[in-house]
Amino acid sequence: MEFDLWRHWQALAALAMASAHAPESGSARATDGFAPLMDAAQRFASAAGSFFDGGSTGSTNAAQAFGNFLRDQFTDLYPLPWLKGFAAPSAAAASAPLEAPALGLTREHQERAQRTAEAWQRLVEAQRRLQRLWSDTLREAAAAFVSRLTPQAPSSSAESLNRLYDAWIDCAEEAYARMAHSEPFSDALAECVNASSDWRRETSATIEQWAKLLDLPTRSEINTLALRLRAAEGELASMRAQLEAAAPHSREHGAARADGQPAESRPRADRRSRADQPARQDRQTRTVAPKTRRRARRGKARP
Amino acid sequence: MSSVDLYAALVAARHCAPGCSAKEEVWRSGKMSLYRYSPIAEPTSEVPLLIVYALINRPYMMDLQEDRSLIRGLLSQGLTVYLIDWGYPDGADRFTTLADYIEGSLLRSVEEISRIHRCNALNILGVCQGGVFSLCFAALHPERVRNLITMVTPVDFHTSDDLLSKWVRKIDVTAWVGNGNVSGDTLNRLFLSLMPFRLTHQKYVELLRGGADRARIENFMRVERWIFDSPDQAGAAFREFVVWFYQENRLARNQLKIDGRPVDLKTLRQPILNLIGRRDHLVPPASSAALQRLTGSHDFTTLELDLGHIGMYVSARAQREVPPAIARWLAER
Repeated sequence: MEFDLWRHWQALAALAMASAHAPESGSARATDGFAPLMDAAQRFASAAGSFFDGGSTGSTNAAQAFGNFLRDQFTDLYPLPWLKGFAAPSAAAASAPLEAPALGLTREHQERAQRTAEAWQRLVEAQRRLQRLWSDTLREAAAAFVSRLTPQAPSSSAESLNRLYDAWIDCAEEAYARMAHSEPFSDALAECVNASSDWRRETSATIEQWAKLLDLPTRSEINTLALRLRAAEGELASMRAQLEAAAPHSREHGAARADGQPAESRPRADRRSRADQPARQDRQTRTVAPKTRRRARRGKARP
Repeated sequence: MSSVDLYAALVAARHCAPGCSAKEEVWRSGKMSLYRYSPIAEPTSEVPLLIVYALINRPYMMDLQEDRSLIRGLLSQGLTVYLIDWGYPDGADRFTTLADYIEGSLLRSVEEISRIHRCNALNILGVCQGGVFSLCFAALHPERVRNLITMVTPVDFHTSDDLLSKWVRKIDVTAWVGNGNVSGDTLNRLFLSLMPFRLTHQKYVELLRGGADRARIENFMRVERWIFDSPDQAGAAFREFVVWFYQENRLARNQLKIDGRPVDLKTLRQPILNLIGRRDHLVPPASSAALQRLTGSHDFTTLELDLGHIGMYVSARAQREVPPAIARWLAER
């Protein structure tokens, strides 16, 4: 779900605009900023006007048309949030024959390309399923909305537009909640995420393969280093805790700040200024990996 | 209402900073900070209160602005308030686990406060995921927690109305997280997806419906900032939280272990105050209410308010009702 203030305001922001007066004479900047809003307001007002005109003559077609208008406005809303940022697969990956036997020197690379392409296909299919469910939701919401519209007395006042809008939101959320709680939605969503995870893993492996050829550092190598560092910090903390246990008074000293003073006793101004600054030396001197620390308290050293 | 006025008010409110109460950092470890808030009233309790916030969003929501500050409300009741700020994890924190947070940062924060106040046990107020951490901590270190307050805290993750839980049940979270962190943007999109029409449309229309009143716009912008100011989540801890709690419901099933030690809610004997939002769309009331039947505490109080998840700490009603209720409950104990 892309967060874009103006886009979010599109279409349904019109009701608020309807209560505004004549076109603003403000700065060009403000007018530019509100241009999409104005456009959406006009479209909404136009659709609502058609509905009210139809309503006055008892036409249900007008209500149906208004419901369809709202469906159209929300068709592109559905976010598929987990997929945002995914690029299309490379031509090679997309065209890799999924069932061709992988042979020869490059068989591992062929299989990886096949797995990548397969994951992408699953992802696309899951997206289609979600999009269908979203479409069903909007259809249900529009039907419920139209059924609420029929008995309404026609009026194009700002208050009526507000009520219309709230009714639409209620209908839409109710329909969405039914869909979102359903098994088909959970299944499609899980498949979508799982396929995207598989695609990312295979793509990452391909990129790392190229990085190694060029002798560039990879994320896997950095992870390994991070884990080693974490283990080393744990060992250090364990030894420190053992020292504290061996010399009980050192615990009190250990509680003091690195500058030699307990936090409580430092000048207030100093403390206040520290709060606005990044951590300094005490970060290193006081950070203790919890697992080894607790083990040490129990008298167990990390193996 | 003039759209030009509204636009001008929004522009003017762009840089509104959240936070209104004076505080000082008393301890720091890595990216985590422990803050103590300056008193604004005569102290009514010798036992400090530690607020444990969630990892998901920033804790300044507890002290957003003067008329929307749970912390200020607690301070005005004469309580001594501390707060853990978990910071913003980055790629170097990807292997940080729940044990690191609970048995590391949280435990050491409690030790630090205990040292400052020369007391053995504190009062703890856990919010949302921070409430889950607080429950785990209290079960692992009962001697360190005098009274426990949980606010909009999920306990049973498999209630029928828990949409998040339904969604993640079939997701391969280990593959999803991989070895990296989970971005705050992804989580934001996930949360917006829970009620997309209200959260991405209606609330902005509501903004349009109101006037260009400066205070209202500033409040809106501060909340807006908080909603989307979401730290990335340390990958290992996120994976553990989703799998252990959302998928396997270990806490409610008494199967949870942190750092190899069992977390049994039945061992909780402290007085517990459980604050529930009746309109909470993130943590269903039934999920929080389950705590009463799962805990061993015989002094259990439930306070259910007709509020949503966020409303529990920033709504006007919450400001009026929640801090006095907490202070009263603590004073009685």
